[in-house]
Amino acid sequence: MSTSTTEPTRKGFSGELVGAVLLAALGVYLLVDAGAIAIPGSSNTVGPRFFPYAVGGLTLATGALLALRVLRGDRGPADDGEDVDPDAPTDWRAVAVIVVAFVAHALLINVVGWPLAVALMFAAVATTLQGRMTPRAAVRPFLVGLTVGCVVWIVFVKALNVALPGGTVLEFLTSWF
Amino acid sequence: MGISDLLGGFADAITPVNLLFALLGVVLGTAVGVLPGIGPAMTVALLLPATYVLEPTSALIMFAGIYYGGMYGGSTTSILLNTPGESASIMTALEGNKMAKAGRGSAALATAAIGSFVAGTIATLLLALVAPALVQVAINVTTADYFALAVLAFVAVASVLGSSPLRGLASLCLGLYLGLVGTDVLTGQERFTLGIPQLSDGIDVVVVAVALFAVGESLYVASRLRKGSVQVIDHKGSWMTRNDLRRSWGPWLRGTAFGFPFGVMPAGGAEIPTFLSYATEKKLTKHPEEFGHGAIEGVAGPEAANNASAAGVLVPLLTLGIPTSATAAIILAAFQGYGIQPGPTLLTTEGPLVWALIASLFIGNAMLLVLNLPLVGLWVKLLRIPRPYLYAGILTFASLGSFAVNADPLDLVILMGLGLLGFAMRRFGWPVAPAVIGLILGPIAETNLRRALAISDGDLSVLVDSWFSRVVLLLALLALVGPVVLRAVRGRRATPEESAQQQEDREVQKAGNREGWGA
Repeated sequence: MSTSTTEPTRKGFSGELVGAVLLAALGVYLLVDAGAIAIPGSSNTVGPRFFPYAVGGLTLATGALLALRVLRGDRGPADDGEDVDPDAPTDWRAVAVIVVAFVAHALLINVVGWPLAVALMFAAVATTLQGRMTPRAAVRPFLVGLTVGCVVWIVFVKALNVALPGGTVLEFLTSWF
Repeated sequence: MGISDLLGGFADAITPVNLLFALLGVVLGTAVGVLPGIGPAMTVALLLPATYVLEPTSALIMFAGIYYGGMYGGSTTSILLNTPGESASIMTALEGNKMAKAGRGSAALATAAIGSFVAGTIATLLLALVAPALVQVAINVTTADYFALAVLAFVAVASVLGSSPLRGLASLCLGLYLGLVGTDVLTGQERFTLGIPQLSDGIDVVVVAVALFAVGESLYVASRLRKGSVQVIDHKGSWMTRNDLRRSWGPWLRGTAFGFPFGVMPAGGAEIPTFLSYATEKKLTKHPEEFGHGAIEGVAGPEAANNASAAGVLVPLLTLGIPTSATAAIILAAFQGYGIQPGPTLLTTEGPLVWALIASLFIGNAMLLVLNLPLVGLWVKLLRIPRPYLYAGILTFASLGSFAVNADPLDLVILMGLGLLGFAMRRFGWPVAPAVIGLILGPIAETNLRRALAISDGDLSVLVDSWFSRVVLLLALLALVGPVVLRAVRGRRATPEESAQQQEDREVQKAGNREGWGA
């Protein structure tokens, strides 16, 4: 599962193979779909298809070569960072929670306003990352998220005129501003 | 040319509004440099919507401040945080972290900050001197030459950043593809839009950059979060003794000499010069026994190299319009947002803007010295932010920045989709920066290629018509094939970090106490 090792060769299945194959597939898509780009009549020189063909070819070649290397056991060194524990197993649940919470907040923005949508997302992400997922442990993250969301909204909407739905309550409360 | 223009630039930069934006930029830059998980590229990307409301001069001064500030802040993190950081500051971490553990944290911070100031000032001066001279050469550059330069930048960025050229190319391809999506500027034809109307304007640079950097990083860190409380080493001891100063000034100057040229070259990146600086100081030092245990030369040199290369990167950006780092690519996007295309004519058409920008870099550098030496305690507090809140906050700002562009929730769904791509790339060891550079430089390269071919009536030989493009394309070929050949000859190519790690391992073994740093 873990690709964090810096050893150059390691046997076993790697997710990178999927990535490389998908990249090659993207190359094929670019090459095929480039043929469908309409070319305005009069041009006798290089039109809008030329560069897509070139990029498609490069992408296909890179994907194929990379797939080959991965199959032969070459692994890229996984990224490191200050907060990354290179030996930790992948926490897929945290990843899933973040993806779901973020997409949900995107769909909620126009319904409940940005500050509340962001507070819910903030609470879900922070609660998951702190490792305790009880309703009680989510109270503080939610309050922090709500404060951050409201303050940021007030600064950006009232002071900088960014278009951001605030939700009925906050918009009513700050309508005098 | 030169001095009088620069003085005019100072006159523009010293207005209260521009000073305020310079201050705002360096404060933000230092903050994001200190915080793990976000960097200057992502911050500038998040603030790109500011170009809709701000004057070009103010916005660009702020962005440049963020860029310089990020370099300063990164050193604080690598010295005081008990865990290794990003590759550009890893050389600083090597010795700086050891110094902090030995109770000399303040001296390490001081030599890093003053070294950054010295290097930043000299390098900005070099920028002011080199840029007009380079423009004289670049003014004769044809569209074909320009295309060759873009190719060199692509290849160099892909093969130099990260450990494997092929993975850099993979990242570059993704960026070039994302840059193709949308309406072709020359003929108005839609390309790869899948019939989705929102995609006909192309995928916004803000969304891509924020997704790959902020969302991708948050997902990746979440998947492997270091558990337990954040350990920050106290910064103790005196700032700099006379002895420290005597040992630092040489490395500062040599680091600058390494950093600036590497920044200027399209092969960009701060990793190689910091590594070279570290290796040089290790060879030249009169205290070889201290290396591996906190030698001040090992902090002073790489940190100066790091900052000098940041100034160097601005040379190709301002004179040729070629970005060689992710942040530079996004600053280029900011110029384009104002309808300004950086290139050889920039200094003549937008002279006051460029000189005000350069002048503000000097001012920002001085501000950063003040911000980073006496106020370092403030930044250290930032380092202690609980990580669950930090990453939830990063996602909050990612949402804000991307939603602000078009007020369309679909952008946020695309953001998460591309964020997952960034997550996968981090797992696979594909560097992210080539994708951003491909996205922004790709369309520029295509336009120049097609203009060149339109002039030649489709004759491809126009691409190698001038000596300039021949040399540049040859360099690109070397950059692409060189590492592959080297690997075939010597076995797998070791990255600078790995070599340094090996070197350090040997050092530690010699001393007889094997203690993994950051453990």
